[in-house]
Amino acid sequence: MDRSLPVWVVTAVFLALLMLLPMAWLVVVSLSGDGGAGLGSYRQALTDPHLRKALWNTVVLAFWVGLFSLLVGAPMAWLTARSDLPGKRAVRALMLASFVTPPFLGAFAWVMLAGPNAGVLNKVWRDLTGAEGPLVDIFTMPGLIFAVTLYTFPYVFIMIANTLELIASDLEEAASILGARRFTVALTVTLPMVAPAIASGFILAVLQALALFGSPAILALPAGFHTITTQIWSYFQYPPKIELAAAASMPLLVATALLLYLQKRLLGRRGYASVGGKGGQRRTIPLGGWRWPAFAACLAVMACSIFLPYGVLAKAALSRAWAQPMTWDNFTLTNIWFTFWQYGATKNAIVNTLELGIMTATVGALMAALLAYTVNRRLVPGSQLLPFLVLAPVVIPGVVLAVGLFIAYTRPPLVLYGTLWIMFAAFLTKELPVGYSQSDATFRGVHSELEEAGRILGAGRLRVLREITAPLARSGIIATWCFIFIGVIRELSASIILFTPSTKVMSVVIMDLKEEGQFGAIAVLGLFMLLMTFATVALMQRLLGRDVLGVRE
Amino acid sequence: MPGVTIRGLTKRYGDVAAVHDLDLSVAPGELVALLGPSGCGKTTTLRLVAGFLKPEAGEIRVGDRLLSSPDSVVPPEGRKMAMIFQSYALWPHMTVAQNVAYGLRFGRRLDRADRGRRVSEILKAVQLAGYEARYPGELSGGQQQRVAVARALVVEPEILLLDEPLSNLDANLREEMRFEIRRLHEAFGITTLYVTHDQAEAMVISDRIAVLDRGRVAQVGTAEDLFERPATRFVAQFIGRTNLVDGVVEVPGVVVHDGLALRVATADAKPGAGVAVSIRPHAITLVPGEHAHAGGPDDNVLSGVIKRASYLGSGVDYEVEVAGGITLRVAAPATLRLSPGTAVILVVPIARCLPLRD
Repeated sequence: MDRSLPVWVVTAVFLALLMLLPMAWLVVVSLSGDGGAGLGSYRQALTDPHLRKALWNTVVLAFWVGLFSLLVGAPMAWLTARSDLPGKRAVRALMLASFVTPPFLGAFAWVMLAGPNAGVLNKVWRDLTGAEGPLVDIFTMPGLIFAVTLYTFPYVFIMIANTLELIASDLEEAASILGARRFTVALTVTLPMVAPAIASGFILAVLQALALFGSPAILALPAGFHTITTQIWSYFQYPPKIELAAAASMPLLVATALLLYLQKRLLGRRGYASVGGKGGQRRTIPLGGWRWPAFAACLAVMACSIFLPYGVLAKAALSRAWAQPMTWDNFTLTNIWFTFWQYGATKNAIVNTLELGIMTATVGALMAALLAYTVNRRLVPGSQLLPFLVLAPVVIPGVVLAVGLFIAYTRPPLVLYGTLWIMFAAFLTKELPVGYSQSDATFRGVHSELEEAGRILGAGRLRVLREITAPLARSGIIATWCFIFIGVIRELSASIILFTPSTKVMSVVIMDLKEEGQFGAIAVLGLFMLLMTFATVALMQRLLGRDVLGVRE
Repeated sequence: MPGVTIRGLTKRYGDVAAVHDLDLSVAPGELVALLGPSGCGKTTTLRLVAGFLKPEAGEIRVGDRLLSSPDSVVPPEGRKMAMIFQSYALWPHMTVAQNVAYGLRFGRRLDRADRGRRVSEILKAVQLAGYEARYPGELSGGQQQRVAVARALVVEPEILLLDEPLSNLDANLREEMRFEIRRLHEAFGITTLYVTHDQAEAMVISDRIAVLDRGRVAQVGTAEDLFERPATRFVAQFIGRTNLVDGVVEVPGVVVHDGLALRVATADAKPGAGVAVSIRPHAITLVPGEHAHAGGPDDNVLSGVIKRASYLGSGVDYEVEVAGGITLRVAAPATLRLSPGTAVILVVPIARCLPLRD
């Protein structure tokens, strides 16, 4: 039909350029290698003991991060959703803060906190006990697992908290009135209903850990081991071995796709989440004597992911020597001066980041809105298939996407490498699924009868779109914009492969500064990045009039 | 003022025909209710009339204007209609006055003062004067309903469409609004199509009712027509409660079922044909005892035994078993109190035994 054609063409071209072309090249190149066509690169990659070790490290990391995220996230979700925990609002606000904190910044902060020699915690430990050795060493596998978990467990928290909020207390009371004790109720009613959320939260955490580049680069490389993402990145260092990078990307891509499929199956099988709807009352469960200990435990977690890291970053930003005590003599503003005015790359990187952030967010939010509107109003035949296409990039980890884009756009007809456009393509592809989900929720909230009421009174299609749909969807669309913007300014894993000297972004500059040991400047730039993030989050909270995490007050 | 003529209208979703070869005409100034259970195609019909959907076959005319046919559909904004939605569809970002005034911007030249005057007049008519500056979110359900009514009436549409407008109100308010809508219809006289699944609502509000069954009009008529002279089994069951006796025509005018013989109102069915006989519970008179001389020559006289009695305040609802193992519901006055097990005579006028086609 006439008007369906442009939509399909645009979507098809978009997906072809952003997803299919890079992924196709990835496969092609992975099959070419030195020894001509064939599985040579795979054989070389998989027999490479370094890569095998890196793969194993990734499995270890992802599994333990998933498990610990569950052990931390699930109880906190239950406490804030169902119990009379004091300071729930504060706990949620801190959860949001740790959700939006770039994991690589957290990893940096923990280098300053728990580095074996100069780490603040270790120094305090030595001063207190007179011991020789360090208390903790962050440059180890357990240290890496710890630092990654701190910024991954919020994913589990959100999944489970949102599910618990949907289970009306009636369902539990129905079991109580039939004679079940409280523990039995929890075991036979509540837990089975939350089980899919628990499993899928675990998978989500595993996926995060799999795709992460920054934290392993900061913590694992100095410790002398690789994960799959850092290994792929190292294939890009001189002399580049692109075929190996492409071959090494495949296991990561396949694992991600399988895990996401599994998660979808788990969530899709029974409509648990909608069981109670929003109608049911939820009564809080008194914790009794455990109230304050539980609160203290939550605070301890938040101390590790927010208070201590932010504190040490602030200290490093404002002191001459970050490892020395914070005295008046040690206080300085030079770091700020150095970061923004002296260090050549910063200004350009901030401009690039803002440019990319604004461009990606604007194009992404508009595309997402257009697609979500088309799907929700069934404007074109077969529009119910569009979401699958738009959501497909979810399965591609940033590093893998970057490898594919690198291969596809360093050759004619489209040579984008070296320009901001290739990063724009990467960010847009990465962020579109999130943006689409947000927009979809927005347009679901604008009942189609509101538009029909305008039509039947005499307003044309475009006028209705302008006067009724647009004002009602506006805050939702701006919130989508903010979501994408936040995602872009913290992006590292694709940028680190696609940047060139003139197209550095803030996160890449932070990694550069780490090579140079400029901890003060890292802290300044990191805090600047956090400031931008929190300002955007605040704007979004206002617009949506609710918690960004989706948890109801 | 024009009427609406629908001819051979068909709308398919995939293989399912939501509306199938539907014919209906609404006279100028008439209010016709489209009544039926969910899935009968009544809302689809209304949306076809509004121009939100395109038919696969048939046509819709208003007066002489052809509005919908498979070849061309006049868009909703070109139809001079107004619609009241189930969800009211009030725009939450506009005040009551802005909502109501919206439709006045199109199609007719009105200056600002005229518009303002029309808005306040109509708000007075729906008893919402003084609420101009409120937002829909600040109104109760009933008030929102009135705003929706005002927004539709203020444009003086040729045709008014209502899609289950009362289904979101609580029972008391619903009853009140039924009379309110009827009053407004009598005051404004706009040709109206009214979709509902509630037969009492349809009976109170409409001039005529079109009962829809599986995408077709099963019967059109006044409430009394439908109740007293249902044309099909579906209509008899859907409008009011009834007893249905499935039987076979023995001789013209007599239907038998396992030893039960009923003389029925019409004699056009051939012997041997299967037929259902509808007997309203109110049409049956109960006489206690076994004396067979109750009833006259124009009555069927049956003997039976009371199975169950339910006291309802305004009357008593009896279940009576008669010959052939058939149980009939009988609505008796509250003064007649019989206990289960009592033998009774049932007197049923022949004229009230209606043979139905399927």
